[in-house]
Amino acid sequence: MRELLRTIAVATVACMVLAVLLGWGKPAAVVGLFLVSGLAVGSLYALGGIGIVLLFRATGVLNLAAGAIGAVAAFVTWQLGDWGVFAPLTWVAGLLTGVLFALAYGRLIAPGLSWREPVIKGVASLGYALILLGLVSFLWNDDPRKLSFPTDAVSLSILGLKVTVTRLIVVVAAIGIVIAITVALNRSRIGLQMRALANNRRIASLVGVPILRVETVAWGVSGLIFGFTGLMFGSLVRLEPAVITFMVIPCIAAAIAGRLVSLPTVLVAGLAMGVIESLLTLSDTFKAVRPMAPYVIAIAVLVVMNLNRRLTFAGED
Amino acid sequence: MNKQMKLAGTALGLMLAGGAAQAQVNCGANTGVAATGAPILVGGIHGNAAPGDFSASTQAAAAYFACVNANGGINGRPIEYLVENDQWNPELAAQAASKLIVDQGVVAMVGNGSFVEMAVNARTYQDAGIMAMASACAVSECFESPSIVSTNQGPLASTIGAAQYMVEAQESKNISCIGLAIPNVGPWSCGAMEEYMASKGLTGSSVYLNPASPDVNSGLLEAVASGADTILVNLPAGLALAFMKAAEEQGMVETYKWASSTPLYDRSVPAALSDVWDGRMFVNAELTPWDKGGPDAVNWLAVLDAYAPNAPRDTFSQSGFVSAKFFVQAMLELDPAHLDDRAAVNAAIKGIVGYESDLLCGPYYVGEADRHMPNHAGTMVVVKGDGFETVRDCYEYDSPYFAPIFENEKALGLN
Repeated sequence: MRELLRTIAVATVACMVLAVLLGWGKPAAVVGLFLVSGLAVGSLYALGGIGIVLLFRATGVLNLAAGAIGAVAAFVTWQLGDWGVFAPLTWVAGLLTGVLFALAYGRLIAPGLSWREPVIKGVASLGYALILLGLVSFLWNDDPRKLSFPTDAVSLSILGLKVTVTRLIVVVAAIGIVIAITVALNRSRIGLQMRALANNRRIASLVGVPILRVETVAWGVSGLIFGFTGLMFGSLVRLEPAVITFMVIPCIAAAIAGRLVSLPTVLVAGLAMGVIESLLTLSDTFKAVRPMAPYVIAIAVLVVMNLNRRLTFAGED
Repeated sequence: MNKQMKLAGTALGLMLAGGAAQAQVNCGANTGVAATGAPILVGGIHGNAAPGDFSASTQAAAAYFACVNANGGINGRPIEYLVENDQWNPELAAQAASKLIVDQGVVAMVGNGSFVEMAVNARTYQDAGIMAMASACAVSECFESPSIVSTNQGPLASTIGAAQYMVEAQESKNISCIGLAIPNVGPWSCGAMEEYMASKGLTGSSVYLNPASPDVNSGLLEAVASGADTILVNLPAGLALAFMKAAEEQGMVETYKWASSTPLYDRSVPAALSDVWDGRMFVNAELTPWDKGGPDAVNWLAVLDAYAPNAPRDTFSQSGFVSAKFFVQAMLELDPAHLDDRAAVNAAIKGIVGYESDLLCGPYYVGEADRHMPNHAGTMVVVKGDGFETVRDCYEYDSPYFAPIFENEKALGLN
């Protein structure tokens, strides 16, 4: 808890200092607009990062196909809506599509790589991402499309910026998912088994943790989160296969800022990344390099976290 | 190779199957007799991979060539159209040009459509003595090269055309152009719009969106901070829709005047927009509207129906059709003995002056020059219901950027 509070304090101070420096001489209301706008994008980074960390902790797979799974879910939702299917059914179908495509990889491909190095697992998932990207691009041409939800039409005014209920849902969902998963990991049997796998897969298997079952649950839950993230990206960013697929990159930056362990830190880091990226628009010098912000922040966090630590080749520091 | 075989097979199959439709089409010599002589090799390069497909121009050119081959060809000789896909990869684009020009020995390049290919291969075409008749250009190198002439306008002319309409018809005084943060696309075209506004004593500014950044809200806020009364969206359709959705969320649709360059002139756009945009988004069309009618407009659709029924019917398709038509027209005027002589073929292309089509608002020409932009007159449409309505028919663009182009035209006796 102390570490989380420290992370929140550091992120808040960093955002405020940047807001003052870059917004100097500009009306506070204008700076506030960029702040709120950044929170909305940051919550998307956080949401994707949370699914990635959950899966990594349980299976050791850094899933680079998270965005692609989300893209499939978003396009299935759009397609069903375009065919006139009842809207709530299309949302459910989209979420189930995320679960299905995550489980397909988790049950059919991932077990064959379970004892390989993390980098091999990650690269394999990148291959899956490219296959899914190709599939979506093949099935849906590049005609412009829009994925809308009824909540897009309802908005609140925060610091002068209208924030739609859809954006608020993303922020609330990110916080809610972090709380729910943290509670589940600490209080439920399956959570205990996931933590055992995360700590030491070999020993966990020796003491009887049902690896396949635990991993299937992890893939399914992460698929649900990826599907939800894909729907939100499709609505709030844009419905393009490559855009949604490669949104996984800033999400991974948020996950890495949480050292692939701490879900609350991923949430805070994701929000901070979105806000800082947005605030950089205020600088003529830095606005051209805004997309670098998540990675620079992730690297800075890793460097700070590893100060005074001695790394050894054993990897159990 | 697969692409070539597929196109050749499609063309052959449709030549046989399309016999019934031949009465409706009008291609080349229009003899109704299939060409049987040695083929004339012509190349084309398009980009087709995620995130976009620019193949509509080569598909339309392939359809027209297939129709020409079924109607006497070029003095009895068929055109063999070899098409390569650069997949948005500069290395593949260079390989494709080398394969077509060096290995296969094409005499001309027609119908090219890509974001990448022109910037990579402009010098190659110049060195090989080829005057590429492109159709779907989007980068500065395509319009500022002595070896490429494009039938479409590209983002610069289209953006100026949209700004000009907003100034002249909608009384815009301060326009903010929203472009891509890619130097030979966004700053090139939005910068020219700023020059146009300055030349009229008005204010223009630009906001550049990084295509890798998901946050379009910041760009919108930046445009608002500029004090503009008009926002001119100069983005690919998908990104433009995201930008417009952000504006809709902020309730800014009715507060500002809205315009766009050609990418939003797409059949699927009105359906993807909410009703609030009805009558509010003015879009520049680089070629004449699809439903305008006229001999070439009707023939374009008839040729596609007969020879490429699944091909898109969009601006790039119109452009590919016109490029192919003008190429065939020039070849029919060339001495048949020189049809395999690359130098003679490209001299004939450079000799094109004053060709006309109802798909274009002005005459088409090539000529010897360090830059080519024959298409600099367009049409303005507005989003209305499930489609578009023309609000200003063919009009010439007026900007300092076109000064050297007008000089070239004067020298050719066109202006």
